[in-house]
Amino acid sequence: MNDKESDPAIHVNNLSKSYGSFLALKGIDLIVNRGEVFGFLGPNGAGKTTAIRCMLDLIRPDAGTVSVLGKNPQSDPVAVREYCGYLPGELRLDENISVHSVLEFLRELRGGGENCHIRAKELADRLDLNVKSKIKNLSKGNKQKVGIIAAFMHCPDLLLLDEPTSGLDPLIQQTVLEMVKESRRSGATVFFSSHVLAEVQAVADRVAIIREGQIVEVGETSSLLSGRAWKMKVMFAENTVVRTEEIEALSGILLDEVSSDGRELKLIVDGEMDELIKVLAGYHVESIETGRPDLEEVFLSYYGKVRERDHLGGKGNE
Amino acid sequence: MNKFYIITRYSFRRSVWAIIGWGIPLMLLGIITIPFYDLVAENERQLRPVLENLKPLVKSFIGGDEAEQIFTPEGFISLRYFAFLPVILGIYGSVSGSGLLAADEERGILDFVLAHPVSRGQLFWGRVISFTASLLCIIGLGWLGLWIGVAKAGSMNFPPFQLLLPYLSVFAVTWFFACFSLALSMCVPSRSSAAMISGILVLAGYIITTLAKAIKGLENWAVFSPLTYYQSNAMMGFEIVPFIKLFLVTLVLLFLARIGFGLRDIRVAGDGGWKLPFIRG
Repeated sequence: MNDKESDPAIHVNNLSKSYGSFLALKGIDLIVNRGEVFGFLGPNGAGKTTAIRCMLDLIRPDAGTVSVLGKNPQSDPVAVREYCGYLPGELRLDENISVHSVLEFLRELRGGGENCHIRAKELADRLDLNVKSKIKNLSKGNKQKVGIIAAFMHCPDLLLLDEPTSGLDPLIQQTVLEMVKESRRSGATVFFSSHVLAEVQAVADRVAIIREGQIVEVGETSSLLSGRAWKMKVMFAENTVVRTEEIEALSGILLDEVSSDGRELKLIVDGEMDELIKVLAGYHVESIETGRPDLEEVFLSYYGKVRERDHLGGKGNE
Repeated sequence: MNKFYIITRYSFRRSVWAIIGWGIPLMLLGIITIPFYDLVAENERQLRPVLENLKPLVKSFIGGDEAEQIFTPEGFISLRYFAFLPVILGIYGSVSGSGLLAADEERGILDFVLAHPVSRGQLFWGRVISFTASLLCIIGLGWLGLWIGVAKAGSMNFPPFQLLLPYLSVFAVTWFFACFSLALSMCVPSRSSAAMISGILVLAGYIITTLAKAIKGLENWAVFSPLTYYQSNAMMGFEIVPFIKLFLVTLVLLFLARIGFGLRDIRVAGDGGWKLPFIRG
């Protein structure tokens, strides 16, 4: 592609979009580097699909700029789409034709030659999809496979995947995640949104969390998780009377939950562990479990599911 | 392969059943209706006084001042076959035009196609050309049926080209309603509302144009009815001016639709709100 190699794959600057009185995107900024897998997390209605559709000139932003592979989608949409593979969040296809006809049509639109045809066939075999089937006879998962093949078959430089594993069985989900990794290894950039946080955690190099039209967190997946406070679950012996105020008084310690019988405490530790251990040593402790929050807990923390938001912190946009 | 051609070919294939569904009945209309001319001609002596004594308002629905032409071969074809075609195909044009883009948009298919390297212009014109080709196929089937019907009627003898002349006007009127409903579909919330508005115009236009033959006060309003420019009697002489007028208005509607499609956001699926895409907020 005739663009600057140094340009990021996606550069969104102060992007805003409204639907009538509803503000779907409120001036978001985003940079996706070439060759990375970028996860885009957010609940329904957060603005994920809106942002992706702006990148392809399916909808026009009210303000801000978008650059995809060094090009402006509004002024040169065909050139942008030529090097992108797109999978919509709600894929719908012409029901009255076969899988083969759909893929052939899309392949012809891309000017794809024999290589594209062969690759489509390989992907269909890999995803266990019968291309002779009529679209209307396919299950949701099998229709999703058609969209996946259409997005991957021409080996695009940029993949825009909106919930790619939606409707797929676990085996095929793994296959798709493998395909994402393979694309990255071959130098492509993958930008995908998902509700399945475990898979985002598994493949994404960086993650952005969007909430109510605003980016609330952007960062490398590993640092997003490692920078968080520890979770701790302490089980005390029966009949142990625990003075919880003694624990709560410790700096950097949040008492998250106490079981009804008072034997089990769930703590969030964002300070010195040593002081806590010394306090706990004064009790008869049966067991201690510790661990870092997973991406789901990080995600949920932005939606008020975990008390004391500050302990799980938040960084501004990069 | 040229993308424009790909879009046109793909869209045309999808309309094959519509061509068969509209074209075959139209063909049968000609085959069945036209041979009745022999019967009408035989009973001219009994029927002519009935026609001449009809009240003007009633007579307007069967041709007005030209009602007596029914006893001539050209007049019979004009009044018994071509008189109803703009209403029949006007409905076809309204439904097809409104759904040319909006139907796929509401079904959620359009954004996936547009996410591929095809411009809105290529998609728009490809669909318009495929519709035009479909319409020509339907008209072709109708013309074939008319030709067969003329051959079956022992007392008719027309060259094929003369039978084709009124179809030029049929094409112009149908294309007008298709482009009108296409332009509407770029503005109104749904494809069905565009089809409904255009369908109302078809019927209202037919009624106004018909009644204007008997009610002088309606003549000024009939100017705004597309069916006023329709020439069902073109076999007796085709007038180019009404055809050009209708064609030019249709072109304007077509370009407005193109501009509208270029400016609008593509919906994920379902109905949208009212939006005048020519006015950007």
